[in-house]
Amino acid sequence: MNGRLVPRLLYGIGGAAVFLVLSSVFLLAIGRPPLATLATMAVYAFGDGYSTSESLVKATPILLCALAVILPAHLGLITVGGEGQLYFGALLGTSVVVNFPGGPMVALLPAMLLLGALGGAVWSGIAAVLRTRCNVNETISTLLLNYIAVLLVDYAVYGGWKDAASLGWPATIQFPPAATVPSLFGTRVHLGLIVAVVAAVVLHVAVNFTRWGLGLKVLAGNRKVGAMVGLSFASNTLIVMALGGALAGFAGISETSAIQGRLQSGLSVGYGLTGFLVAWLSGQHFLRAVPIAIMIGGLIAAGDALQLYSKIPSASATILQGLLFAAALGSSGLLGRREERHG
Amino acid sequence: MSAPLVAMFGVCKRFGAVTACDNLDLEIRAGEVLALLGENGAGKSTAMKVLYGFYRADAGEIRLDGKPVSFGSPREAMARGIGMVFQQFSLVPALSVLENLLAAYPAAPWLQFRGRARIAQALGWLERLAPALDPTRPVRELAVGERQLVELAKVLNLNARVVILDEPTSVLTPAETQRLYGFIRSLVAAGKAVVLITHKLADVAACADRIVVMRDGRAVDRALARDRTPEDLVEAMVGRDSLSVIAAPPPVHESAPVLEVRNLSANVQGTQIRDVSFAMAAGEILGIAGVSGNGQYALAETLAGLAPITGGDVVLEGVSLASCRRDGAISDRVAYIPERPLDNAVVADLDLGFNLALRRICMLRLFPDRRVMMEQADDLIRRFDVRPPQATLRAAALSGGNLQKLVIARELSDTHRVVIASYPTMGLDVLAAEAVYRSLFEQAACGACVIWISEDLDDLLAYAHRIAVIHGGRIVGIVRRQDASRQLIGRWMAGMEQGKAA
Repeated sequence: MNGRLVPRLLYGIGGAAVFLVLSSVFLLAIGRPPLATLATMAVYAFGDGYSTSESLVKATPILLCALAVILPAHLGLITVGGEGQLYFGALLGTSVVVNFPGGPMVALLPAMLLLGALGGAVWSGIAAVLRTRCNVNETISTLLLNYIAVLLVDYAVYGGWKDAASLGWPATIQFPPAATVPSLFGTRVHLGLIVAVVAAVVLHVAVNFTRWGLGLKVLAGNRKVGAMVGLSFASNTLIVMALGGALAGFAGISETSAIQGRLQSGLSVGYGLTGFLVAWLSGQHFLRAVPIAIMIGGLIAAGDALQLYSKIPSASATILQGLLFAAALGSSGLLGRREERHG
Repeated sequence: MSAPLVAMFGVCKRFGAVTACDNLDLEIRAGEVLALLGENGAGKSTAMKVLYGFYRADAGEIRLDGKPVSFGSPREAMARGIGMVFQQFSLVPALSVLENLLAAYPAAPWLQFRGRARIAQALGWLERLAPALDPTRPVRELAVGERQLVELAKVLNLNARVVILDEPTSVLTPAETQRLYGFIRSLVAAGKAVVLITHKLADVAACADRIVVMRDGRAVDRALARDRTPEDLVEAMVGRDSLSVIAAPPPVHESAPVLEVRNLSANVQGTQIRDVSFAMAAGEILGIAGVSGNGQYALAETLAGLAPITGGDVVLEGVSLASCRRDGAISDRVAYIPERPLDNAVVADLDLGFNLALRRICMLRLFPDRRVMMEQADDLIRRFDVRPPQATLRAAALSGGNLQKLVIARELSDTHRVVIASYPTMGLDVLAAEAVYRSLFEQAACGACVIWISEDLDDLLAYAHRIAVIHGGRIVGIVRRQDASRQLIGRWMAGMEQGKAA
């Protein structure tokens, strides 16, 4: 694999250079000094303990949603359903809290997290069953299921679950402390981050070093041969989709519980789709997704800070994020094509 | 004799440490078929790919019409009238035959501008090559032989003066092969030059004018075809006095049948087999002959247990396959060498070590031991002479013949009760084919029922205990080797006559 290190480094350098050029053009166009602004953003993202912790908070659901894309990708499935799985997980997890708000922590918290994960697994599992039974393309079905899940949450928080005390604001009751995911080191960083990183490591080992992972590779490469040696595409599809969905669902319920404190409309700011992009940036690699998710988390956190302190609209951070993805994916794509031609 | 159309002087081509083409001199003349004969890896294809602009020569000179040329790409070679039909075709499966032909013109992809004249021009050659072929059919529905004819029509449409055919007969049925020979003769009569890359002596005997035998990248013999006997050519190809003749497998003892196929019917990807019945004793070799596309694939897949049975049954040692089968998985008592190994038997993106361990994948430990896997792979690779011998190489990097050897190494390294082999020597040279036959017959000697689907009637007649002929999805006749003749089997293959089971 040593031979492939150099081109990979090249992608990195090339992508960074292209991003620098593109973002400078953009910042100049909105009348900001490019390098100074980028430096400020870096400080807002990782300059001190507090900003780093806020970046990690943003990175948590993104990383979980990225893992939910990477795992099915190892079976050759492309899912874009992180957002929907996140919402449906939050919905199902919240149902526990809404129905038993006074329960003891030892029962309430695990039940809530478990149901959150189950919700994501079910939402993703629908797409898996459609794929294996009716041959419905999983990319399309997961995309469409996103809309349904978002609207289901809206239906709940505008309807029966609306907290009477919230003066018409579409949100459920405040989660009791017994249903709050514990935070770490007195910051807003919560247990979800640890779960995400551990999941990344475990999945990396499972996919790359076990018999099961080898089976996924066989099925992804040649499904007919896989069937011949006794591997089932259908059950493996269900497994990877459900596991991935569970992670995204867990992202939804932990974000709802630890960060927002209640289920409300617009709970995710595109974490699911950002996770999808992180997955592709990482080259569908579980471990590489961790630093990339943290970097993107930093970019989003810095965007919020920019708006607050430098009066640059936070949309510009989203635009910068888009430029970063375009630069990284574009440069790896171009270099990849060159490699193919010369290889 | 006229001046050569193409002359190659001292052409060398190296890939890393391997010299594929070593100081090669070659002349290609108009109105003549030059057979480039040699085993797998002798450098025949490489030499022609250098001429075609696919590779750049490391040394040497190429002259076209007496003037030095150097083609940087196949497009340039094409423009100067040199066309090549590869073993792997470059057709777009989703497009129709006509669209593929039109897309080959330099003006493509402006497919919408297809006037009547252009269409007639594009179909001109095809009508002569394959009059029965409907040009509106998508290429993915065509049999391999038909695809090759389309590919050839594509090259001829571009006014090729030199037509290079890379192992063209390895994918054709006997009848298609005969037609291709005739067509090659007519091309030559029309003043074109044809280069026939082949390892089959039958090709040479049928239509070559001149022969260049290559071995290890060098031309070891050049002569007029009529001056050489097949024995001379084999000697030149393999570089030794004579081939060890494989002894025909000993006759089987009459015994109760081990494998019984009773009124088997199935439908595999639109091809049907109907009412197939035969019984086999332990150690018996049953050859299956037939024009390709008559249900061989469906029969093999069904017997291997990979396709659902719609009627009848397969009974192995008293146990019905139809009743005790995990969904689609092959039984460990059955070895199966499918046709088109790249599609049907290997995972192209995984390395040779994994591919050789595939059959055991469900029995591996939770954390498979890579080192053990690689050691076992190295051993198999050595025993079955897979080249290059590197277990870490991806299967996609192997040539067709070596891929075939890889599958055979996996399937035939253990003994099985039933061995199903579809075209097991396709793309293999004399020595490799001999090794495959040995392993196949060894399985029979150990008591396996060997079902051997082949297009090579001579080999079937020499080695199989009985020969069954499949036509239109039915077994039209089964005959013992000693009672069989080419004529009889030929009539059965053509579906002209119903035989009786023997």
